[in-house]
Amino acid sequence: MKPLVKLENVTTGYHSEPVLKNVDLEVFTDDFVGVIGPNGGGKTTLVKVILGVLPVFSGKVSFPGQKPQMGYLPQISQIDKSFPITVRELVASGLKTQHPFWPSLGKKQKAQLSDMLEQARLTHLASRPIGELSGGQVQKAMLCRALISRPDLLILDEPNTFVDKVFEQDLYRWLQELKKEMAILLISHDIGTISPMVKTIACVNGNLHYHPSNQLTEDILKVYNCPVDIIAHGPVPHRVLKDH
Amino acid sequence: MSEFFSILEYSFFRNALAAAFLTSILSAMVGTYIVSRKIVFITGGVTHASFGGIGMAYFLGMSPLLGAAVFAVLSATGIEWMSQKGKVREDSAIAILWSLGMALGIIFVFMTPGYTPNLLSFLFGNILSVGRSELYIMLGFAIVVALVFVIYFRPVVQTAFDPEFSKIMGVPVLFFRYLMATIIALAIVVSIRSVGIILVLSLFTIPQITAMLFTRSFARIIPFAALWGITGSVLGLFSSYVFNIPSGAAIIFFLTLQFLLVKLVIVLRDSLLRGRNSAVGQH
Repeated sequence: MKPLVKLENVTTGYHSEPVLKNVDLEVFTDDFVGVIGPNGGGKTTLVKVILGVLPVFSGKVSFPGQKPQMGYLPQISQIDKSFPITVRELVASGLKTQHPFWPSLGKKQKAQLSDMLEQARLTHLASRPIGELSGGQVQKAMLCRALISRPDLLILDEPNTFVDKVFEQDLYRWLQELKKEMAILLISHDIGTISPMVKTIACVNGNLHYHPSNQLTEDILKVYNCPVDIIAHGPVPHRVLKDH
Repeated sequence: MSEFFSILEYSFFRNALAAAFLTSILSAMVGTYIVSRKIVFITGGVTHASFGGIGMAYFLGMSPLLGAAVFAVLSATGIEWMSQKGKVREDSAIAILWSLGMALGIIFVFMTPGYTPNLLSFLFGNILSVGRSELYIMLGFAIVVALVFVIYFRPVVQTAFDPEFSKIMGVPVLFFRYLMATIIALAIVVSIRSVGIILVLSLFTIPQITAMLFTRSFARIIPFAALWGITGSVLGLFSSYVFNIPSGAAIIFFLTLQFLLVKLVIVLRDSLLRGRNSAVGQH
């Protein structure tokens, strides 16, 4: 089976400053990879080089089959919530148009948009600007934007930060369904919650150590040079990285 | 009253009204983009940099507006380029262009032999002296910008809101960023004759923030901003005639007054509603 994405000895970063060095990774169609690591270790950098928004300093990022459709949910803190954009406009921006210089939506795409909003129970909020929504509602709309083009690979960057518990539960339920249809790469600090869901784990701290199962111990983390401990956290105890 | 409206018999005043109308529509579209992307400071930099072009044009005996357009487009696209590259702090680059433009303008005007009669009208605006040919330029440019906003509404908003995601979706982000930088620069130059370099920034921000008191949807801000722009400009224009005060300053004064009044009405309405709701709660 050909991987969807293949990283071979990739070094990348920002403004010619390398953040990730000599990374190898393959993501297959039925993969669900949890990406963990300390702050500044390069988790977001890893997904950005896969998405093609960061340059590859050396090595190679390739798509051995047809280039997969990718859906991306960035960290909510990267989004300007005061920008005057409605939920409908936000979700619609995840639709690919036939021609980038003639970007109107066809009938089929408009139906797709209505379906997506309906499915996510966002129809009643469709005309509302995102600035009027809760963190969970914005995150839900952003997830719809990532999903509306039915991606082959869904990339989620810390989807459970700044959101309420209800949304978090919904999200994890949603991911259980989605993993049957697409490959998923999930960045999270919450190992305890994600480890039962993911198939494999990528530990990222300047380099990448791929762990071919969802079971991680502190000893393994030490071997992988991921200098983080797993601790109990929150009112309902769950395990997270110590520096979180 | 009839004496008051007799001013409309003069073609210069009718031209001024048409200019106010066109500038309001143009600035409603472009200003909504500026305010939404929070690039008001960049726009200020481009506006002041254009003064260098005006000065150079005087010195070379060319059309001042053409000189302003060249300087404005170069500085707007230059700032966009620098922010893409990320090698120079954007606010520092803007400050450099802002003061360099003004400095060049002053030097060139100083070096130009003789008197530069229209210089003040570029600095402070003189909507009453807008000619027919300038109106045609305003109309043509407003139509072009309206077409860009109608056809490319989605990518313009999308690339302003989240350029990274737009890039992932295959939207030509750089093309739209530079296109909008050019449109901003030219819209500023076209509007300079109405209110002048020093005040033009207000035309691209005050009607928009007034509109944003009613709506937070990009598409809906534009008509609201156009409406507030037109009422403020017309009120300013008539009052400049009645009180014999500079038209540009009068327009900005009324735009600000409108904003303050609308804000006051909204605050009063909200406190009344809160009072009513708490009274209902007590019963």
